[in-house]
Amino acid sequence: MKKKITAAFLAVMMLSLTACGAAKDADASAEGGHEATVDVSNVKLMSDGVLSVGCEVGYPPFEDFADDGSTPIGYDVDIINAVAEKLGLKANIINTAWDGIFAGIGVNYDVACSAVTITPERQETMLFSTPYINNYQAVVLLADDDRTVNSFNDLNGLSIALQKETTSDILMSDYKSTGTIDVQIVANEKVTSCFTQLQNGEVDAVVVDSTVADGYINSSDAFKIAYQDESEPEQFGIAIAKDNEPLQAAINQALKELEEEGYIKETYDYWFGAAAE
Amino acid sequence: MKKPDLKKYSKQIIWIAVIAVVCIVLAVLKPGREQLLSSTSPKMQKLIDEDKGSTRKRVTVTYNSLLIINYVSLSSSGANEMSERYVGFLGKVYPADAGAMKVVGQMVNYSYRMLGCGENLMHGAKLTILLTTLTVIFGLLLGTLLALGKISKKKILSRISGAYIFFFRGTPLLIQLFVVYFTVPGIFGFAWRDLFSSADAEAVYKGAFTAAAIAFALNSGAYCAEIVRSAIQSIDKGQFEASKALGMTYPQTMTRIIIPQSIRRMIPNVSNEFIMILKDASLVFAISLMDITTISKNIMTSEGSYLVFIPALVIYLLITAFFGFIFDKIEKKFSVYE
Repeated sequence: MKKKITAAFLAVMMLSLTACGAAKDADASAEGGHEATVDVSNVKLMSDGVLSVGCEVGYPPFEDFADDGSTPIGYDVDIINAVAEKLGLKANIINTAWDGIFAGIGVNYDVACSAVTITPERQETMLFSTPYINNYQAVVLLADDDRTVNSFNDLNGLSIALQKETTSDILMSDYKSTGTIDVQIVANEKVTSCFTQLQNGEVDAVVVDSTVADGYINSSDAFKIAYQDESEPEQFGIAIAKDNEPLQAAINQALKELEEEGYIKETYDYWFGAAAE
Repeated sequence: MKKPDLKKYSKQIIWIAVIAVVCIVLAVLKPGREQLLSSTSPKMQKLIDEDKGSTRKRVTVTYNSLLIINYVSLSSSGANEMSERYVGFLGKVYPADAGAMKVVGQMVNYSYRMLGCGENLMHGAKLTILLTTLTVIFGLLLGTLLALGKISKKKILSRISGAYIFFFRGTPLLIQLFVVYFTVPGIFGFAWRDLFSSADAEAVYKGAFTAAAIAFALNSGAYCAEIVRSAIQSIDKGQFEASKALGMTYPQTMTRIIIPQSIRRMIPNVSNEFIMILKDASLVFAISLMDITTISKNIMTSEGSYLVFIPALVIYLLITAFFGFIFDKIEKKFSVYE
């Protein structure tokens, strides 16, 4: 009897495994719709005909896994797919950890497209495409919190969560280390953990990119944006290896055409809602 | 027990004394904080003065003192981006913006940060040591109970202990940590930091640490249970029979005869478990605590300095050497029962 049960169990396992394999292929065909207009014959790529993209999947609405758990979706994904189509390439998104994402450019993938802020420090070690979205630092509170936040200085004495090694981290660590305010910083690997901590009441606020905050507020009533720092806008770009100028030029050309066709605006409205502008 | 033979250790004692004296001399001769800060350029001094009274300060002053050497770094970001670093050693202040002194300065700064100096107990090496020690103590207590349960003749007890061990050994520690920190409060509607006073700014770290200690102890309990069980069962059957013949009850046999003998046999395995937990402690990165590994990884990504892993290794080795020594002593002490 026991043996029979084991055999049946194994059979069920095998079946479910093959079922998983089958489900994966169903969604693979993307809608496409962009003609290849940019010549990339002189561009050095990791493998022919493929633009491999490093991306920390898990930063909605920029990049996240669809409900099937394996297809990356999001604003960045739509943009980079369209760019690849413009270049006559197929985008291959490689899920990678945010820690060390830049070290992989030109080693594990051609570009990094993962809500990367263009900063002077980063520009010393890598190239950036023209920016494809503007972003601000925002403070998110629970919807029923009656604190007023008019500047980052109002976070004095609070516990805040943010994602490690992001612009939010650099900014708030600077506020703390210079002694401007006294704040307890809780740094997480994933931005999603920050919002879970806020919801559970472990922290008082989350400091995050305004675009990400918009995405969360679109999908949940539990949070609100209390403050958005509009004095220092940041721009997101696609990061490219320092020595790959032809690729930079090609991507910039593709982004320019997508902008003119209205594709970028359309995608923005889809992911962030027209109200976010 | 015999008194430890002092003569056997005399060489070691002399060495320790020499090192201590050298350290004290170097520590006394080390330049003070004020001396280091006064070496800065006038431009930086001006920036610091401007910061006083400003609501948005720009200059970060880092002062790290490590027993015999100290390091100061001043940096500002934004429009007036500047940075200056100095190392103080043997009464002198050396600029540390380039060359060998830069590396020395970095080493002091990295070690300082990884040791968790100037931070609360839930940071860096302090966190690692505290969490590991608490885990092993509570893990052993829990493990002893579970082991007695598992070898008990009462079926229910033995089943429950077996199920507990099966569950906690069969699931990854990282997921158990997530469940204790995120899922349990999410379902039951409490927050870990509410266990501490709301006026306590560090409550958020204390809450996370409590969750980590609970998850680690629950997990370690399962492993320790097997260590204790194997040690108890390795004691010769004749010991049980002899105790029974003397009219001892089962609890008496266990607490007076079997467990004391089995302790010596447990120690090598417990020492192993201790070292495993010491390294597993780096999993606390997942609930936003910073241990040695997390800090070194952060330094690597933010400053791109691969040198940081060298002091990290040294710190780990020092900790394991220290605890290895202690476990050695305990083992020697308990071998009298053999």
